[in-house]
Amino acid sequence: MELWDTTRQALVLLGTGDPELWQIVGVSLRVSLSALLLITAPAIAAGFVLAHVAFPGRRALVVLVQGLLSLPTVVVGLVLYMLLSRQGPLGDWHLLFTQKAMILGQMMLALPVLTAYTVTAVQGADARVFETAVSLGAGGFRAALSTLWEVRFGVMAAVFTGFGRIISEIGCSLMVGGNIAGLTRNMPTAIALETSKGQFAQGVALGIVLLILALGVNVALAALQGQGGMRKAWQP
Amino acid sequence: MAAVIEVRGLHKTSSGRAVLDIALLHLRAGESYVLSGDNGAGKSTLLRVLAGLEPATVHSYRFRGDELDPARLPSRVRRQIGYVHQHPYMFNASVQANVEYGLRVRGIASGERKARVREALAWAGVQDLAAMPAPQLSGGEQQRVALARLKALSPCVYLLDEPTANLDADGRRRVIELLGRLAGADNVVVIACHDQEVINLPGLVRLHLSEGRLDAAPRNAIAPLRETRIGG
Repeated sequence: MELWDTTRQALVLLGTGDPELWQIVGVSLRVSLSALLLITAPAIAAGFVLAHVAFPGRRALVVLVQGLLSLPTVVVGLVLYMLLSRQGPLGDWHLLFTQKAMILGQMMLALPVLTAYTVTAVQGADARVFETAVSLGAGGFRAALSTLWEVRFGVMAAVFTGFGRIISEIGCSLMVGGNIAGLTRNMPTAIALETSKGQFAQGVALGIVLLILALGVNVALAALQGQGGMRKAWQP
Repeated sequence: MAAVIEVRGLHKTSSGRAVLDIALLHLRAGESYVLSGDNGAGKSTLLRVLAGLEPATVHSYRFRGDELDPARLPSRVRRQIGYVHQHPYMFNASVQANVEYGLRVRGIASGERKARVREALAWAGVQDLAAMPAPQLSGGEQQRVALARLKALSPCVYLLDEPTANLDADGRRRVIELLGRLAGADNVVVIACHDQEVINLPGLVRLHLSEGRLDAAPRNAIAPLRETRIGG
């Protein structure tokens, strides 16, 4: 019963607070939450503009953003690697094989997800929301925030989906992070490494943490949606 | 009385068809106007243009004498013009929060805000609904909350699009009663309407739109209006 033994060892690792394992979890969370924190506001703003403001080329941009949803993570990693490598145009920044490079890559991956989902959420909003806010005296920015507030569950779904995309990606993190122990080794790269070495316990333990995170995010979203969200009108 | 809004040479086309073609529109302080006309005559479009929600070609648009671009009304002017959709949108919040929204936007202090919300809710007879989720109210109740939401802001201009449309008898009666009390010495009320009972309310200046053009309404005490001088 190798599977059972491996799972038992993984649970022991988790239960005993194995420092190496939790350090890897820490790197994953720090990188992905930083990327999400940095990209959420600009991505949502871009999504709102694409959904709400008419300008030449808007439709093409929406199609492009939707197309980038399936952007392979290794391609982002490759492009970023070329940009950040010593011979690359951004080589002087010395970011390659650092957490900052991983954050940059995950921001690039999260951007189309957050933007495309926000476009869908705002396009689904009642057209009267923005006009009502404006006719009650709100400026364009405030009316935009009020509109986003009215479709907040769709916007939150965008954020959670973006988080799900980057916390579990491996291609970009591996290429620009380098899977350096204690520095850039996150959950997906560690799982790949441990598996390749035939040491499954840590991989399974990290897989369990990833699963719990993914489930937790979905449960949180469902709970928020279940509230029905009858709150005060948004007030910046 | 001085014109609050004066528009000259207002034109709007849609798909090559003239939707609005108005030589002159004068809306004076202290007057209430009812704007009648068939479906598609341009009533809603005219209100939306006046509210700055829809662009149009305008030779001149004056608000209290200031020449402005209606598509880019400054905030101080926009906040003087209140507009209510035919089916008002209620924010996904309580009635109280809905009425409070515009006051918050204006940065009114909490104490004054609460007092003005209370006053507006009482004016519209919806004080008992204050804690209710606004989107769950009936059409008539939502229309009254929308009127209270504007009343709390004391705008100079009220632009109301078919406020009695699709309401049951009781909702309609209550809204009509509020419309009769909306006018003040310093404000302008414009009601786009099909409802004969609203059209016949006493004291209203009647405007009639036909294929985007304003003309004198049949029953009006004002002398027959020419297209170049509308509104009294």
